[in-house]
Amino acid sequence: MLDEAAIQSVLSEALRKGGDLAEVFVESRQSTALKLEDRRIEDVASGRDAGAGIRVISGERSSYAYTNVLTEKALLEAAEAARAGMDSPSEKGPFDLRRTEPSIVNPVVTPPDEVPTSDKAEALVTADEVARGEGAEVRQVVASYADTRQRVLIASSDGRMAEDERNRVRLAVRVVAGRAGEIGTGFDAPGHSGGFELLQKRPPAEVAAKAARRAVIMLDAEPAPAGEFPVVLAPGWGGVLIHEACGHGLEADTLVKEASVYANRRGERFGSEAVTIVDDSADVGAWGSFGVDDEGTPAQRTVLFEEGVLVGHMSDLRAAKKIGSPPTGNGRRQSYAHLPVVRMSNTYLLPGPDDRDEIIGSIKRGIYAANFAGGEVNPATGNFVFGISEGYLIENGAIAHPIRGATLIGNGPQVLGAIDAVGSDWDRSEGVCGKDGQSAPVTNGMATVLLRRMTVGGTG
Amino acid sequence: VTVDLLELAGGIVERARGDEVEAFLTHEREFQVKSFEGEVESLSAAEPRGAGIRVFKDGRVGFAYTSDLSEGGLDSILELARANAAHATADEAVGVAEGWDGSGPEEVPGLVDEAQPSVSPDDKASFAVELDSLTRAVDPRIRTVEEAVYADSDTQIAIATSTGIKGSYRRTDAWCYAIAIATDGDDTQIGFDFDLGRGIAELDAAALAESAAHRALSVLGASKIASARMPVVLDPYTAGQFLGVIGGALTGEAVQKGKSLFAGKEGQKVAADKLSLVDDGRALGAPGSAPWDAEGVATRRTEVIREGTLTGFLYDLTSARRARTGSTGNASRAGFKSAPYPAPSNLAFEPTGETLQDIRSRADRALLVRDLHGVHSGANPISGDFSVGATGILLERGDEAQPVKEVTVAAPMLDILARIEAVGDDRRWLPFGGSLGGATTFVAEMTVGGL
Repeated sequence: MLDEAAIQSVLSEALRKGGDLAEVFVESRQSTALKLEDRRIEDVASGRDAGAGIRVISGERSSYAYTNVLTEKALLEAAEAARAGMDSPSEKGPFDLRRTEPSIVNPVVTPPDEVPTSDKAEALVTADEVARGEGAEVRQVVASYADTRQRVLIASSDGRMAEDERNRVRLAVRVVAGRAGEIGTGFDAPGHSGGFELLQKRPPAEVAAKAARRAVIMLDAEPAPAGEFPVVLAPGWGGVLIHEACGHGLEADTLVKEASVYANRRGERFGSEAVTIVDDSADVGAWGSFGVDDEGTPAQRTVLFEEGVLVGHMSDLRAAKKIGSPPTGNGRRQSYAHLPVVRMSNTYLLPGPDDRDEIIGSIKRGIYAANFAGGEVNPATGNFVFGISEGYLIENGAIAHPIRGATLIGNGPQVLGAIDAVGSDWDRSEGVCGKDGQSAPVTNGMATVLLRRMTVGGTG
Repeated sequence: VTVDLLELAGGIVERARGDEVEAFLTHEREFQVKSFEGEVESLSAAEPRGAGIRVFKDGRVGFAYTSDLSEGGLDSILELARANAAHATADEAVGVAEGWDGSGPEEVPGLVDEAQPSVSPDDKASFAVELDSLTRAVDPRIRTVEEAVYADSDTQIAIATSTGIKGSYRRTDAWCYAIAIATDGDDTQIGFDFDLGRGIAELDAAALAESAAHRALSVLGASKIASARMPVVLDPYTAGQFLGVIGGALTGEAVQKGKSLFAGKEGQKVAADKLSLVDDGRALGAPGSAPWDAEGVATRRTEVIREGTLTGFLYDLTSARRARTGSTGNASRAGFKSAPYPAPSNLAFEPTGETLQDIRSRADRALLVRDLHGVHSGANPISGDFSVGATGILLERGDEAQPVKEVTVAAPMLDILARIEAVGDDRRWLPFGGSLGGATTFVAEMTVGGL
């Protein structure tokens, strides 16, 4: 992407007026996206984006400049911009660049750019037809397909040098159903790191049928009750809770600023022995995986909670240095236009010993949260909130009628303590997480989980 | 690096040789500085630019974008856009905007602060550091300021079409925000606020510091309250969040696609009698203003709700043709990488005349909501369900009686609109998906979920 001589001269230029470390991040990205809505393929888009960002770290200060003109001249100008305001002349380089190999390669069986666009369009048409076939109540289907191939190169004056290629494909189907003034929505959106073979593993027809059935079921929903209830989280989508309640507060940038409810609490017990949570960027083929992170640190599996005890955190280079422990490979950026931020990748609550049916059977009156519309957390307090897009009332040990308008609110550490049972029926779901104005693909994974008591917001 | 965007845009149309085409280009200079613990933590500077091209063929449209503005780069995306068009479904509503008469839509004054380019990076850094220090200095209980940020951009936007549209305009923007963390004993609360304007001169660091700190301090010691149906007062910030949800459902496209709670309600009462809601793409001093929209259509003022009655929707070209009406100039783009989509420009309720004190003391007991959490998940603009987390203060006859946290506020959105009894004159613009004018708003009843 950039030859070594150019890398050397850009790094030297960046450090010409002092600074502890210079780093260059080069990225090229090509993407295809199609969207079907209202029975029409409305958007067919292709993107070609390439650029480079140069970071100069001096003490506690990072300066960053980026360009989307990939000539050596433009890169040298960016290097000059990144060192603006520094004034201790120094001659550094050449640098001894040592290549780090990615810890995993996510296999691509069928490269999306070798698949005709008409096949991608056909997948959406199939999804539309199948979803509409699920019932006369289906009013609208939005199906979208996206593939991206991102190539990155990272090199820095401390000798780090790595290249990685990330191929991701995602299919999303959103269905709106309607009946006599009632509206129900259903959603499913599998994704992976790999090629077009996603659509064999997760056929568009199945994804569409699932989304449509959810939408139709929700037509019968009654207003959710408000108050405190036991809550059962479904496998897969329930992992959003772990992401919000535990993940964000263990991103080390918030820990070092003491802006996390988990700061200075390593070794403390938060949950029962059934609670083991990991972040695993090296899970081959998972949507949030990569070979090296966007600072060149190899992907790895990091244990956050071991049998209920806080044992780890996620870090990028900067936070790792402050904490005095090795980086965990969680420095991610949305693109060359962004500084790295500590981010989750694939965050999993590992499966436990309990049986799903027994968990539900143990509840007299409670909430079953099957699918979530998303959520957010305040890492400083641990308070989180998320919306249940598909929920049910549990009555006398069985799932009863669907409910609408339910929101779960709570507090991260408290929720870990409220986990009373973890099932063996583990699954995952894919999503896009936003932080500091940057978005990143992430996976959440968990089994059926029982929370002893949670606040539910509703109108019923 | 200087590039003549308008010339490039025109060149793309020429090279398309007879195809129906639209070229949209941007060239931005952007700068951001963050302060932490009284020191500059990070600085970022860049000049990104790029082009997005749409090719229209027999009612089909294809889109492609690139950051490579060389002749080769532009030719390759013109080719991609052409190829993509072949895979879209033919639709007679799809097409490029009609050409402009003369020099095109009238300019909107005040989009540029001419002094802004000469503000030095050092002055911008000092602003962020000062914002950080001022926020920490508000009260000893402000334990830290997680982020104090100053950012700005200077953007040139150009459009050219095969129908004869050719124009460009420039805008400058500056904004800043602070995240204050207040701690008292075991209790920690967070306070976020921001300020925005055309240039650094319009930003008030001291007022922002005070406000961000106050947002955290005022909810220290907060607790849950018992679940109840009660009046709710939204402050300008949370009223803007609510408006963001409503705004997405007020586009013609959302209605046509059955994705809006307002579908089929045109001409009907959808809100309290005294409520009027206006989108104004030319509002002076508002962040979403521009002479023309993302498809080159002149912007304008559109009344969406007049005295409680739904009078119209916000349209881009495609949705307008489908509804057999004209575009309201509401096509928007998230930069050159994005094809146009309809969105509010500057959307706000008209004030209803009550003073702020009247509104706050309107009920014996009301929940003043200072922050809504999980709006993107808890509010459904299709079904109208609205159930989100809230932090705030219990008002008793207008006095701040008790801080409240970890509750939910819920009601169907049409019920909320029907129960809005007053909108204050303290409007401020919030950049939540278009620009939204939030003002203190009294809602007669919502369900508050707590203990």
